[in-house]
Amino acid sequence: MLDTAFFYAFALLVLGGALLTITQRNAVHSAIWLIVSLIGVAGLFLLQKAEFLFAVQIILYVGGIMVLFLFVIMLVNLDEAARERQFRGRWWVALGCLALVAAETAYFVIKGRDAFRFAPRPETPASPLGNTEQLADVLFSTYLLPFELASVLLLVAIVGSVVMAKKRI
Amino acid sequence: MPANLFPAPVEIFRFLPEIILALGGTLIMVLEALTGDRQPKNALGHVSLAALFAALVAAVAVHGSPGPAFSSMLLVDGFATFFRVVVIAVGILTVFSSYRYLSREGANTGEYYALVLFSVAGQGVMVTANELIMIFIGLEISSIATYVMAGLLRDDARANESALKYFLLGSFATAFLLYGIAFLYGATGTTNLTAIRETVLRADGPSPLLLGLAAALMLVGFGFKISSAPFQMWAPDVYQGAPTPVTAFMSAGPKAAAFAIFLRVFVTIFEPIGDRWEPIIWVFALASMTIGNFAALTQSNVKRMLAYSSIAHAGYVLVALCARSDIGTAAAMFYLAAYALMNVGAFAVVAYICGKGEKYVGIDDLAGLGSRRPAVAAALTIFLCSLIGVPLTGGFFGKFYIFKAALESKLIWLTVLGLLNSAVAAYYYLRMLVVMYMREPGEATENLEPLPAGLRTALFTSAAGVLLLGIFPSRILEFAVQSAKLFGR
Amino acid sequence: MSFLGWFLLTPLAAFLLLLLLPREQEKTIRVAALALSLAIFGLSLGLLAGEPRETDLAWIPELNIRYHVAVDGLSIWLILLTTLLTPISILISWKYIDRRVKEFHAFLLLLEFGVLGVFAAMDLFLFYVYWEVGLVPMYFLIGIWGHDRRIYAAVKFFLYTMAASVLMLASIIYVYQRAGTFDYPAILAMLASGKLTFTSLEQTLLFLAFFVAFAVKVPLFPLHTWLPDAHVEAPTAGSVMLASVLLKLGTYGILRFCLPMFPTAARENAGWIAVLAIVGIVYGALVAMVQPNVKKLVAYSSVSHLGFVILGIFSFNQQGFDGAVYQMLNHGVSTGALFMLVGYLYERRHSLEIQDYGGVSTPAPWLSTVFLITTLASIGLPTLNNFVGEFLVLQGAAQADFRWAVFAATGVILSACYMLWMYQRTFYGETPEKVTHQMTDLNGREWAAILPLLALMVWMGTAAETFLPRISAANRLILQQTTVNVPFNVQTPAPRPDVAAKEIADAR
Repeated sequence: MLDTAFFYAFALLVLGGALLTITQRNAVHSAIWLIVSLIGVAGLFLLQKAEFLFAVQIILYVGGIMVLFLFVIMLVNLDEAARERQFRGRWWVALGCLALVAAETAYFVIKGRDAFRFAPRPETPASPLGNTEQLADVLFSTYLLPFELASVLLLVAIVGSVVMAKKRI
Repeated sequence: MPANLFPAPVEIFRFLPEIILALGGTLIMVLEALTGDRQPKNALGHVSLAALFAALVAAVAVHGSPGPAFSSMLLVDGFATFFRVVVIAVGILTVFSSYRYLSREGANTGEYYALVLFSVAGQGVMVTANELIMIFIGLEISSIATYVMAGLLRDDARANESALKYFLLGSFATAFLLYGIAFLYGATGTTNLTAIRETVLRADGPSPLLLGLAAALMLVGFGFKISSAPFQMWAPDVYQGAPTPVTAFMSAGPKAAAFAIFLRVFVTIFEPIGDRWEPIIWVFALASMTIGNFAALTQSNVKRMLAYSSIAHAGYVLVALCARSDIGTAAAMFYLAAYALMNVGAFAVVAYICGKGEKYVGIDDLAGLGSRRPAVAAALTIFLCSLIGVPLTGGFFGKFYIFKAALESKLIWLTVLGLLNSAVAAYYYLRMLVVMYMREPGEATENLEPLPAGLRTALFTSAAGVLLLGIFPSRILEFAVQSAKLFGR
Repeated sequence: MSFLGWFLLTPLAAFLLLLLLPREQEKTIRVAALALSLAIFGLSLGLLAGEPRETDLAWIPELNIRYHVAVDGLSIWLILLTTLLTPISILISWKYIDRRVKEFHAFLLLLEFGVLGVFAAMDLFLFYVYWEVGLVPMYFLIGIWGHDRRIYAAVKFFLYTMAASVLMLASIIYVYQRAGTFDYPAILAMLASGKLTFTSLEQTLLFLAFFVAFAVKVPLFPLHTWLPDAHVEAPTAGSVMLASVLLKLGTYGILRFCLPMFPTAARENAGWIAVLAIVGIVYGALVAMVQPNVKKLVAYSSVSHLGFVILGIFSFNQQGFDGAVYQMLNHGVSTGALFMLVGYLYERRHSLEIQDYGGVSTPAPWLSTVFLITTLASIGLPTLNNFVGEFLVLQGAAQADFRWAVFAATGVILSACYMLWMYQRTFYGETPEKVTHQMTDLNGREWAAILPLLALMVWMGTAAETFLPRISAANRLILQQTTVNVPFNVQTPAPRPDVAAKEIADAR
């Protein structure tokens, strides 16, 4: 019961934060709301007993990445952007599409709820290891390859940002 | 502790092409730092070619030992090998046609070649992936590298617009895909394609409705990536604005890879709900063909026209998907191979003509090419004939095979409408032929530089490939038919 | 691979050979093209004697697509006509084509490759491949070396043919789906044995898809509108090939594929098709009469003449078929010659308007004589070729429905009107200053090009027994095939050995 309450609270943080992120005129406000949203996600992770992800979410996203974001925002001149109209006249089209997708998703989920049957889970209590250790095990055995590939992905992203930002190529 | 911390050698071998590509990319970055600023960077391009060729050899060699690797993260089968070869070949042709263009624009840097390698590596991961996470990571590697390549010329406003649009919409599409993946995981409890398929086929598997939701969301993501209608809006602007060799690359390589995972996911996992998504794909296919072809009719910019035509061609491949049969899958594979060759070839010609700053990319700028550069014009003629679907070219045979598959699956209306569409398409391709052969040379063709060696290689290789696929399709067709039986269906 | 299989690839080899020659040496290219095409003609004569005239090889085994080619009485003469007209086209372009000489001759040979393939293909897929391959060189021939509105004409030509033939492709795939093979004789055998049957609806739709593709090429009224444009804008050699050979692809296709594969539908639809053919005959003749442009006049006369061929085919009897095939050859010879002669006039006077001429017979008597013979052949004077064909067609049409023959016969009369009137205005009367100045008589090269055709006109008009027996034999088979699966009783004349000889006697 309490879990459910927390879930909805965090979900509200996530969605509300996200909504405010895109509707705020001031970029700094947007960034702050994004932090709120990300904290909500971290809370959801915690509810799932994924302590490691919770920590990572807080440290990396809320801590590292957001600080970087704010730096960029502060360095860029935002007065121009703030004066511009934020939404074009066709925002209601987007809203309509969004409502449609939401309705569709709701329909599907309600109709197909019975099908949320998970494959029988491996019995976790037998393992004395915590969530973090388990994650480490999986990451370096079964998911070794995606883990390594993620480093290639990061490398590409770094190369890309350098190429885009370098003064002269 | 898990025992298989260290993968078996054969597993590493099955991943060899991507390893070579990633290492090659890294090596180029290091070499880039070591070479002086003033030195020409063509040598780095040669390194990337060497890596691509090595990867090609490896990809073919790996076919000798098919099977899963890295805890079934990836699966080397005929399908994977086929697309691996296609995307690597596209990479090779792209590098060949980039040398001159980049030095003309003063952007002949090592990073470009490294990004090509990384992007191809990402596509290699995509096509071999047997795991939704791998698909996602591969897609991101390929996409991010391509976004940056599109924005390589930072002083060009159009290129900036192109890169930004591509990036924003591409990320948006990936988000949809991820959403779909999340639902699929929720419904089946696994992200491994083989395991998902087993779960889905079980009597107590997830309800078709949930699968349908996942399929719908993933369809949006894939639809963006393959530029099928109604998610095609980004393609013309992006293709037009990006540097031409990059346009050639992204209209062929990432698209083929996206189609590969599209096919793999839809004909295996979502096969049980096939009659639910078939009508949607039907509409997508027809809309892509029609919108692409009719919008292309009025274009005056070659790159934009080819962009619309590539939307139409995505429609043809969707027809093959719509057939929901092994023949259809094989037809899509064959068509994508032919399409990659002819499209890269056509863009390579544009890269040759366009001049510094892409001044000459209008259809009218091709005027007189037939008399000034008959060999280039002949190659372009072959590509255009293939795009139209004139027999003895790969494009014709691919189209023929697709519509054969469609008719076998009783898609009579789609076949008829698709074929009529290809007759409409003939008109705008003909316009290029008209200008090329029947007009007097203009400013663009008067002062053409001699055909650089790299471009020549790219042009004539792809022209020969297009003809080969059209005249002697047997070998490749046989291979495609054998590999189309995904998961031993 | 037998002789035929190799022979059909020779134009392609010649095409590739020509591509290797340096483009500056125009003389060498012309001579080489002429020599090669003459050699191909010589080889094609070997088809008259050589047996077996069939090659059947696997091409794309996965789909059971075969390189299956064969020659019978229906196609042999058309093949010979094509191989004969190619060197002639090269001859008449000797002076006329003065730019991009290499490409011109290369495209001409590629065209020959495609056309020969169409006439010999016995595999539906192969047939379609050849059918489309011929399209591309013709498009370039019109578009690059044509007159002022050449681009419009070329694009129109290409799009008409392409649009019409995509549905044929769909039908071919559909037939393959049902029969499991593209091999034409095998399909016919299945039809004959009842292993393969089409429902009435299927037959009608498939027949129409094939028929429309062919009818555009013929061209049958009202699908003919591309033809005058293409003819007028094309260079002389292009017009000659277009009129003499390419138009025959359509009628050949109808006779070879439409009728035997879908006999019921063909017979059910024969009525309105024959009416369209007659409308085409009369309409073509009437429009030709009012044409101020001599090339357009000849083009419309083609519409009229091809109407006879269609009428003959859809009469569904031996005379009609024989006449249709013979008329195909006749039209190839005489209209080809007419276009050549018009080209000769154009090279001298640089105009195609009849009003720019007059009294040409004074400065150029031989040219006028040759033109007169060709004109007379075209309007069907006895002892010249068209007479035999038109007579047989009218005979066949009269057997099918007497009214058809009556209306079609008016076309013969009208053709005499417009051709002779044109001749009179061009060659007689006042000789304007310019004409006297510019007109010269035929030179040796021009004689060499026209003489074979003149000889053929007389030969085909007086000694039809050289050609008709083979044609009749092939047609008898087709006629027999069109009785397969036909629910109602059809009267087929029993094959008689003397039928051909009798027809010839009748025709005289």
